[in-house]
Amino acid sequence: MPAKLRSFWRAVTRRDDFEDGMDAEMRFHLESRTADLMRRGLPPAEAARQARLEFGSIEKQKDEARAGAGLRLIDELIGDVRYALRTFRRNKGFAAAAIVTLALGIGANTAIFSLMDGLMLRHLPVHRPQDLWLLTFDEPAATGPVNETFSYPLLRVLESRNDIFAGIAGFSSDRRFTVGTGASMSRVSAAIVTGGFYETLGLVPALGRLLNPNDDAPGAPVAAVLSDGYWERAFARDPAVAGRPILLNGVTAEIVGVSPRGFSGANVGVTADVTIAVAALPAVVPPDADLLGRGNFWMRALARLRPGVSRDEAAARLSAAWPAIAQPAINPAWPERRKKDITDARVGFTPGATGWTYLRDMYTRPLKVLMGIVTLVLLIACANVASLMLARATARRREIAVRLAIGAGRGRIVRQLFVESAILSLAGAACGVALASLAGGAIVNVIATQRGALVLDLAPNVNILAFTMGVAMATALLFGIAPALQSTAAEPGSVLQEDRRTGTTRSRLLPSLVTAQMALSLILLIGSGLFIRTLRNLNTVDPGFQSEGVLIAGLEQRPGGVPASALERLRTLPGVLSASLSTHTPLSGSTWSEPALPVGQPLPEHDTAVFFGASPGFFTTLQIPIAAGREFTDADTRQSAPVAIVNEDYVRQYLANRNPIGQRLSAVVRNEKRELEIVGVVRTIAHFSLRGARPATVYVPYHQLTGNVPTTVEIRTIGSSATLTAAIQQTLQPLLPTAPVEVRLLSSQVNATLVQERMLATLGTGFGVLALALAAVGIYGLLGYGVARRTREIGIRMALGASPTGVVALILRGARAPLAVGIALGLPAAWALSRLFRSMLFGLTPADPIAIGGATLLLVLVAHAAAYLPARRAARVDPLVALKCE
Amino acid sequence: MAEQADLLPGTLDLLILKAVSLGALHGYGVLLRIEQMTRGALLVEQGALYPALYRLEHQGLLDAEWGVSDNNRRAKFYTLTAAGRKRLREETESWNRTSSAIATALKARPSEG
Repeated sequence: MPAKLRSFWRAVTRRDDFEDGMDAEMRFHLESRTADLMRRGLPPAEAARQARLEFGSIEKQKDEARAGAGLRLIDELIGDVRYALRTFRRNKGFAAAAIVTLALGIGANTAIFSLMDGLMLRHLPVHRPQDLWLLTFDEPAATGPVNETFSYPLLRVLESRNDIFAGIAGFSSDRRFTVGTGASMSRVSAAIVTGGFYETLGLVPALGRLLNPNDDAPGAPVAAVLSDGYWERAFARDPAVAGRPILLNGVTAEIVGVSPRGFSGANVGVTADVTIAVAALPAVVPPDADLLGRGNFWMRALARLRPGVSRDEAAARLSAAWPAIAQPAINPAWPERRKKDITDARVGFTPGATGWTYLRDMYTRPLKVLMGIVTLVLLIACANVASLMLARATARRREIAVRLAIGAGRGRIVRQLFVESAILSLAGAACGVALASLAGGAIVNVIATQRGALVLDLAPNVNILAFTMGVAMATALLFGIAPALQSTAAEPGSVLQEDRRTGTTRSRLLPSLVTAQMALSLILLIGSGLFIRTLRNLNTVDPGFQSEGVLIAGLEQRPGGVPASALERLRTLPGVLSASLSTHTPLSGSTWSEPALPVGQPLPEHDTAVFFGASPGFFTTLQIPIAAGREFTDADTRQSAPVAIVNEDYVRQYLANRNPIGQRLSAVVRNEKRELEIVGVVRTIAHFSLRGARPATVYVPYHQLTGNVPTTVEIRTIGSSATLTAAIQQTLQPLLPTAPVEVRLLSSQVNATLVQERMLATLGTGFGVLALALAAVGIYGLLGYGVARRTREIGIRMALGASPTGVVALILRGARAPLAVGIALGLPAAWALSRLFRSMLFGLTPADPIAIGGATLLLVLVAHAAAYLPARRAARVDPLVALKCE
Repeated sequence: MAEQADLLPGTLDLLILKAVSLGALHGYGVLLRIEQMTRGALLVEQGALYPALYRLEHQGLLDAEWGVSDNNRRAKFYTLTAAGRKRLREETESWNRTSSAIATALKARPSEG
């Protein structure tokens, strides 16, 4: 085999040498033979003639020699490619239509696959990513999704077990720091990592050094590593930046280096422009000093095992040593149950080559649905191209028949037709990859939440190119094989005798392709209808508050809360109706909960209610209706009695059959036991999501809280918010010397919770429209081809008195059969498929009559519109012209 | 010319290997050597020679190199490779077995049945 490959390779790559050699060799043979014959006494001319005669056909010998050297296949393929390109040049319209159709179908697949690849398949740009494990923390008592978070002390103990681990990279990202001061302040994305992070990942700095365990020691000076992207944007790749100071949240840190290009953290999609060690967190973000304690599970970890230790061995050793490992991570003051949760827990290993991202949990299912959608789109595109190929094959019947008649094998012609399909498909794939890269940015924008910029690497890589090549080849087989087989099946003799002008044979394949397109389009339209209606239902869900017209500004960086007087200045701004402060806002993604029960019941260890700290005016600003009692007032201060307002769901769960006003709650509020008197009841609002259950909630006065309270300002405005935003920013900025004030719309925070549904509705509709357009082209092509073929028949009918309306009806009838059968097949298929994503729908079932009826109606209308154009052309046929052209 | 027999299918390869095993030869030389080895009893069709040479070279049984012929002309010389030598041995054995079996069969008489 290697000898064959070598000689084949030599022959292919040095083709001229091969041909010259063959020539010289045979010439030498003939001359030697001639010389021998002359020696036997023949005259020179006769000797040469005799030699040629004995040798036989030189060309035939050469051809067989080429075949002997394995060159025939490649020669024929090259011939096929040349022939195909020549045919396409002569049929530019056909080639362009096929390539555009394929580019759309393949491009849609490549775009969605790129997204999947970027989110789920792409390895982190680190040393040997396939050796990394993402650690999980499995608490037997816990229910729900797998826990991947660890406390900092626990990671430090694990890291010290060098009999198991070569290194542990703990990280927490999706944070923002303020860089600089005064007017030059900017917010940058940031990550907190353990000292072993960069070493474990095996990264080499682009400049200076990266963080090491010394930076992650208590009291170490604050060291910051910049991302390559931030170094370029903010410092124009100035090499002198290493060693320079940088202000992070007003605290001086030293820039020690820049991480390598392409690496922006272990959290896929969420870049970290500035990275600091965990030990530096208390200095940079004082309210987060608590996070370093044993009670907070907030860091994720990628681990590299000690060389020679397998995953199973590591798990076994960890479990054997667990009591010793867990001990330092347990706070002796914890209640017994909490201690037991930790001692019973196990550390697990899942493959970590692709890093970690919250996006994966969010988008795995929607992306699978989209992948299914684009597959259907590609099938529709295939059916279109197959129809084109069939129509063309009919036009080429004579050419193919002649080739068969003069001795070309059927396999040979099928192969040649398949080469044409493959060329079309590859050209379509090339355009598709280009389309996908253009669309990639737009798609990332659809799925980006307001949590920060979503940066995904979607550049075509080996995965994507291999996928696209595979799709292109499968596509070529799908649309190419049937027409190729059908067009070579006919007996050449009958084709050649057939009347040139009226081909009588009809393809049954063509109408069935259009039928399939109708069915597939209907499935896609019903699917997008269901997603659109889901999004609409969620958009019209009453969250219990009015987000329209409310601006919010986060003041999280403000230590010690915001004084009540700050609101007074806001309230005097023209256009401001009301303003308030709170610790949290609904649907923001961050939440606070505490145990709180009516006095007399023992306080449980787990939290029983969601808590909000709210200033006077909070319920007015958000327009949350008060059901009973009163709102908080300026009289509720740290000096007055602690009070609370509860929501209706809290009353239903814990105070049933009692008048809640005046009842007392015992609660833990920010680590402090308190008794609260209920002074009011408000309507329940959506807090975690619009579709899920709404939590029992306790509101406490913002100004009765102590310590560093997270703070958001809510402002209800009237009129143009663009001009107001600047005024609000100016008013609030003095309160926040260490960070720029960012004013956002509460409604966009609400909208951000619907990002998955919006992605499915937007992209699903886009692909549905694409499918419908392709199917319309399909039906137009089918009927147009039919009209062209039946011109003479139509002429006779009209000559015999058929009216133009009758002719239109005749042609439209040709569209009805594929349409009706397509709908009959598509409806049950859509119903079966939509049950698979039933849980993604909201407020409707897969059998939603509006989605199904609307989709069917749309398909019927579009199919008729597409059919009407050829029908009208048929009605305009002039009988005289049609009959004369015979 | 004496009476000549047609070549049995498949035997041309064997004859070429045998001819080349006796020393490097160019294509025309292979033809002459076969005629000489069979004392002209077998008719080698010249049209089949080069395809067979190229096939054997492609299979790695022959090596080819350009050299200079007796009459000082550039010619392509074929030699046997190790694989070719092995193939020649196998084919020779198999040929001998077959031909002696056929010879035995043809000598059979009714009484010995």
